[in-house]
Amino acid sequence: MSAIVSVRGAVKEYALGAVKVQALRGVDLEVGEGEFLSIAGPSGSGKTTLLNLIGCVDTATSGVVQVAGKDTASLSERQLTELRLNTIGFIFQSFNLVSVLSVLQNVELPLLLQRRFSGKERHDRVLDLLGRVGLADHAKHRPSELSGGQRQRVAIARALVTRPQIVLADEPTANLDSVTGENILALMRELNRTERTTFIFSTHDAKVMAHASAVVRIADGRVLGREAPAAAQAEGH
Amino acid sequence: MFSTLRVLVQIAFRNLFASRLKTAIVGGIVFFGALLVTVGGSLLGSVTGGMARSITGTLAGDVQVYGASSKDDLAIFGGFGDQNLAQIDSFETLKAVVEKVPNVARVVPMGISGALVTSGNTIDLVLEKLRNAVRKETQGDRSPALLAEIEAQKEHVRQMVQVLEGEQKNLVALVDATKLTQEDRDNAMALARAASPQFWADFDRDPLNALEFLENKIAPQSTDADMLMLRYVGTDLSAFGRSFDRFRIVDGKPVPPGKRGFLFAKYFYEDRIKLRTARRLDKIREALSVKGQTIASDPDLQRMVHENERQTREILLQLDPTSTRNMTKLLRDELGSKETDLGRLLASFFAMDDASFERRYHFFYDRLAPMLELYRIRVGDTLTIKAFTKTGYSRSINLKVYGTFEFQGLEKSPLAGSVNLMDLVSFRDLYGFLTPDNQKEVARIEQAAGERAIDRAHADDELFGGDSKADAAQAPPAPPPMPKEAMPAVSAPLEKLHRDDRAARDYDPAELEKGVVLDAAVVLRDHSKVDQAIRDIGAATKRAGLDVKAVSWQDAAGIIGKLVMTFRLVLYLAFLVIFLVALVIINNALVMATLERVREIGTLRAVGAQKTFVLGMLVVEAATLGGVFGGLGAGVGALVVALLGAQGIPATSDVMNFFFSGPRLYPSLAPATVALAIAIVLVVATLSSFYPAWLAMRVSPREAMASDE
Repeated sequence: MSAIVSVRGAVKEYALGAVKVQALRGVDLEVGEGEFLSIAGPSGSGKTTLLNLIGCVDTATSGVVQVAGKDTASLSERQLTELRLNTIGFIFQSFNLVSVLSVLQNVELPLLLQRRFSGKERHDRVLDLLGRVGLADHAKHRPSELSGGQRQRVAIARALVTRPQIVLADEPTANLDSVTGENILALMRELNRTERTTFIFSTHDAKVMAHASAVVRIADGRVLGREAPAAAQAEGH
Repeated sequence: MFSTLRVLVQIAFRNLFASRLKTAIVGGIVFFGALLVTVGGSLLGSVTGGMARSITGTLAGDVQVYGASSKDDLAIFGGFGDQNLAQIDSFETLKAVVEKVPNVARVVPMGISGALVTSGNTIDLVLEKLRNAVRKETQGDRSPALLAEIEAQKEHVRQMVQVLEGEQKNLVALVDATKLTQEDRDNAMALARAASPQFWADFDRDPLNALEFLENKIAPQSTDADMLMLRYVGTDLSAFGRSFDRFRIVDGKPVPPGKRGFLFAKYFYEDRIKLRTARRLDKIREALSVKGQTIASDPDLQRMVHENERQTREILLQLDPTSTRNMTKLLRDELGSKETDLGRLLASFFAMDDASFERRYHFFYDRLAPMLELYRIRVGDTLTIKAFTKTGYSRSINLKVYGTFEFQGLEKSPLAGSVNLMDLVSFRDLYGFLTPDNQKEVARIEQAAGERAIDRAHADDELFGGDSKADAAQAPPAPPPMPKEAMPAVSAPLEKLHRDDRAARDYDPAELEKGVVLDAAVVLRDHSKVDQAIRDIGAATKRAGLDVKAVSWQDAAGIIGKLVMTFRLVLYLAFLVIFLVALVIINNALVMATLERVREIGTLRAVGAQKTFVLGMLVVEAATLGGVFGGLGAGVGALVVALLGAQGIPATSDVMNFFFSGPRLYPSLAPATVALAIAIVLVVATLSSFYPAWLAMRVSPREAMASDE
């Protein structure tokens, strides 16, 4: 299992007025291809900051962050954007769908940005993914017409439509009730298996962690340890 | 690059209604902006077109040619007072050159000038009739008809004296006796004498002496004489009629070719020559029937009614005793009044309100008007025009008034109706053109002034004479011989004879072509190619060595022509201000909309949209909004213009007739205006999106993440 994400000694400092806040105080993390990794920790532990570094939406103050074999510190803003577009899919806590666009258009958006595919190809891929997240009938709906769980399914479809190597999910179930959250996790897990896509998601919910292949515990900007949850062990991972 | 744009437009269209507030504000402003430009631009275009037709179709033609060394610019509709224009010595030469320019249809000789005309007061006119009758009597005519006429005229004069005396008494009653001037007292004494039975008993013994007293002491007291400022164009009247197809004779007939004559502009004739009371009645009637105003509600109409009540003297002075009796009876019956004073009867008759107006209007025209002279100068009368020549001497000429004219569609326009027409030969006489020889002679005479006893008033005649050197040199078929004014000082009667003779004198139509003009109106075949024609005419005249310049009708029309430019400037300035304000408002709305979209923009950046994409997205969105609502606005604007075009906008004032080139303006849509409207709003919308787009560009993709830090 080769590492698709490699973080070594990552430090992230924020200036909060005159005070410097260290969100990450030297984090080391290796994520293998095809993992279904959960980053767990309480609020303010640095989960989101770590995900931001891995997702190339932020850069480390010091340390090394390698994503898909590339050292993000050496990439320009433009190249980082390219990397996000082609290599990483994002699932957000509050879904972040574009409200004026239909379900189909929301999912199509990254493909439009890639400018690689014809209309027909885009359409086929979007419908295929909507079928897999169980929303084939809702392609023409607006996000506002969907439930929270349905919206997060759309977000999952959008994250996977470019066939990224990594999907990052920041508290994907935080805004959902527990049953829906379970379902969303199950769907992500299934896609992780069928597509061989690496999933990294943050959570502070023990039930959610139970789905992960591995859990990295983080607190006060430091990695406490990596463990295999009981459920994952039970599945024989 | 192209595919990026396609994606941008695609997303922009999808986001068109992303923010209702943004759409409402930006869309609304853009919509009305485009509407405004479309309607405003089309109206302006139509008014410009209307004015163009008014100006080119009446006097100016498409192009005007005048002396290049003129000190002033030509201003056909310009203010009063003569412009200092260099004369063009031979119209014939100019015409030959200009007519060869391909687009030129006609070349009409012209000169524009103005003069003061004294119309003579009513007493003067009656006294003149009386003097003529008395003269016949002294020459031995003893016919009963003549004697009856003399008696009737005498009665009329006595009545006038009474009217004036009544006024004088009113004045004395009003004013403190100590404030009366010596002149007032002299006037009162003269009136008392003229009103006395003794004066009239003595009249027959020495009528000429009595007449002189009346002419010198009484007539000047009646101030109804009017100095008329007469603006006229001297031209080849037949060519004028042929070249300006809106021209038509209303009363009388055209001046026959070869005859000297004068034509009044109908509007001027009605406005300035007609009995003022009657003119006011006409105006009130038009306001009531056409414009739907009421006397009760309109202060202007009330003012006119009051003026009619107060200013009855103009009518009273016109009436001889018989007419006075007749009118008094008519009015007593009509008004059911026992009043015996005609002045008071007229005052109560003219105190009209909305209910009585129509009946009394018709009563005035059907019953009273036949006893009155409605026009101070009638068609067929001879008009004495006194003008100052270029050499500074006054020159007068008698011209027969052949009729009145108007320009079709511009009947009610004071501007088109302010310029009267006369034959070019008379114009030349009045203007006092100078040939190089004359100019030398003027210098010589001025030098020799004092050596020769020249009556200044007749120096001009000395110079040019009735058949001046200029005339003699340039008009081969010599006019009928004139009594050469060889006498150093010409007596008044002789000058009058000279005037009358001039009026009677015919001229050879060829004289029109050969002589001097001030300017020439050029009518083109293709009216749209004025600039080209000006260049061609300029080149042709230059080749021919003529010292003239050609200008467009806009330039030639003086202030009026510049009005078009001013309108345009004002409108564009208004557009500029409106769109600057719009720019700020749209910018604000877009900034607010952008701030609302920070998370969405962050998400776009996170999932892989480049900064430039976000920038482009916002700009294209604004432009799309501008295009869509601008198109809608321009469309509705076009509809409004079409509606106005079908209905027509009525000219609410007389002046507007000129701008509208008729009683209604039918605006038509200019495609260029629609394009301009859309282009402007597109530019404005795009410009106002730059700042918010720049803000959006700086939104970090981290904004997409729910921050729990």
